[in-house]
Amino acid sequence: MKELAGRLTALDPDAGAAVRVIAYFDRLAETRAGVEALVRGAAVLAGVPARLVDADRRVQVRVEADGTRRDSDLAPDPRWPSAALTPDGVPALWLERAGAAPSVVDAVILERAAGAARLVLDRTRGRAPLDDPALVETLLDATAAEPARRHAARRLGLDPLATARAVAARGGRPRVVPAAGPAAEAPGVRTGVGPAVPVSDLPRSWAAARTALRFTAEGTGLDPGPRVVHADELGGIALLADLVVPGAEPPPDVRAVETAAADAPWLLTTLYAVTATASLRAAAAEANVHHSTLQDRLAHAEHLLGWPVRTPEGRLRLHLALTMRRLARP
Amino acid sequence: MTSVPPPFDPELAAVLELIKDAISPALYPEDIEAVRQGPGMAMLADLDLTAGGAFEVEDRVVPGPEGSPEISLLICRPTGPAPARPRPVVYHVHGGGMVIGTNRVGVDFALDWARELDMVVVSVEYRLAPEHPYPAPVEDVYAGLLWTAEHAKELGGDPERIVIAGASAGGGLTAALALLLRDRGGPRPIGQLLLCPMLDDRNDTPSAHQMAGLGVWDRTANETGWTALLGERRGGPDVSPYAAPARAEDLSALPPAFLDVGSAETFRDEVVAFASRLWQAGGIAELHVWPGGFHGFDGFAPQAALSRSARAAHVDWLRRLLAE
Repeated sequence: MKELAGRLTALDPDAGAAVRVIAYFDRLAETRAGVEALVRGAAVLAGVPARLVDADRRVQVRVEADGTRRDSDLAPDPRWPSAALTPDGVPALWLERAGAAPSVVDAVILERAAGAARLVLDRTRGRAPLDDPALVETLLDATAAEPARRHAARRLGLDPLATARAVAARGGRPRVVPAAGPAAEAPGVRTGVGPAVPVSDLPRSWAAARTALRFTAEGTGLDPGPRVVHADELGGIALLADLVVPGAEPPPDVRAVETAAADAPWLLTTLYAVTATASLRAAAAEANVHHSTLQDRLAHAEHLLGWPVRTPEGRLRLHLALTMRRLARP
Repeated sequence: MTSVPPPFDPELAAVLELIKDAISPALYPEDIEAVRQGPGMAMLADLDLTAGGAFEVEDRVVPGPEGSPEISLLICRPTGPAPARPRPVVYHVHGGGMVIGTNRVGVDFALDWARELDMVVVSVEYRLAPEHPYPAPVEDVYAGLLWTAEHAKELGGDPERIVIAGASAGGGLTAALALLLRDRGGPRPIGQLLLCPMLDDRNDTPSAHQMAGLGVWDRTANETGWTALLGERRGGPDVSPYAAPARAEDLSALPPAFLDVGSAETFRDEVVAFASRLWQAGGIAELHVWPGGFHGFDGFAPQAALSRSARAAHVDWLRRLLAE
């Protein structure tokens, strides 16, 4: 029975097939099917992958001929048959059929699927500003009612079936980005990125993003460290966030680092390089000093800190101290 | 009794538009021969049974029920390296309302499972009603299972790990097979997979009435199928549970069951009731009711989102059943 629907179309590639295609998409439109169902219909009926990209509304859906959703970041091939969502608009729906003249059936599929997709997008993604702060706030608020959050997600153009991440940037407004979309960070700003979660779980992603933000650093001499931290890359280290209270008296190892840093301006950058690289040779390159200079500096640092930083245990202790230093900031 | 039917799932409603010329909701006795000869059956049976070389395919003629003709088994064995332990076997019974179909119909489901879980597939050809009314079909199915259990090792299969499975009429025959095996002390399958099974000749549930004229295999078609199988006895007081498993008084001591059905099909209520009765009898059963599914939707529209969930559920259940 496999691909019966597709094969019925293939059996009768002319007028009969076009009539069936029209009936297929009319029925999807009548039953208010979603965008993915429309793109899947185009892929299954055409027998090739189909994709819809609406950059303005941040919608990107790609479905293969067997019905599997598999989005792609690669640019569509301009030779593929395509259709726009609006008259005179840019191409938005493609059938990934390379090297063949588009058939009548392809043209009908594109026209009907694009028409139906436009209606769905207008209905569901509406004309809401894409980063309306009130909507984002609702979406990230665990105490907001589920329907209100769902509504906010729709208005923000988030695919309710896809996953998304909350993003916390220092000094900026909370943001939500589709997990499948482009990189979440703004250049030059300390940013915590939450894990990809179903849209209904975004409050959890937001909490994790805010925790991740505490692990970020300015990336300067006084505050070396990663400017962007992904919550799902922290692992067990995230537990430290609960142990170190911002603005409270820092743990002794952090005080030792502060005291040592007051004595040697190069110290923080050098020590961070040791924790952030795989070998002392790489650390020397990272800190931009000669290998022997690094050895001298580390011997000095060990003297100031009172513990070794070139043993695995000492390196871990140092790593924890630098991490807790960031967490302890007010 | 009329009521508003549940809506079809949007994607499935659209697929019904595609297939409505080939497959109408109803089936009358006089249509049976035309459907058997029609392009739909040929299309359903036109499969690559080797699944791209993954299976070695053979048709084997084996003894039928005592005093009856021989029966044919389609046997698909994985071509991959033999595992340390003999492979589990899926014994497949095709659908077609008791009146149409061959052992090729729907076997792509079984082949998908077998590919995923490294199983041997045996699909039985049984005599069809109305030319061969009850008990011919179920006795053929029974004879094929006996042969399969006795010869499993020859096929690289494990006679202790046979799963019996079927969709629609094949699901009903599979449930009847489980009852027969229990009552005659035959081999014990480790599970029964009943996909939108045809269980109840009375054809009188709310869903049967609700879905009349809609989707696939409506109440009229169902009456045609059951009457072909049972003649005048259909719906009467003396129908055997081996013909219509919903008639069984005792549903205890059966193999663990997987049952599924669409919410928008004739069989919905009889399948839900059967699952409930399995639990009431102390049995193990997993039931899925797929919202907006028409009869056989996951076969007719395998690409649809709901079909993908349904097919994944079949594999999940088998994986858990076979895990040790």
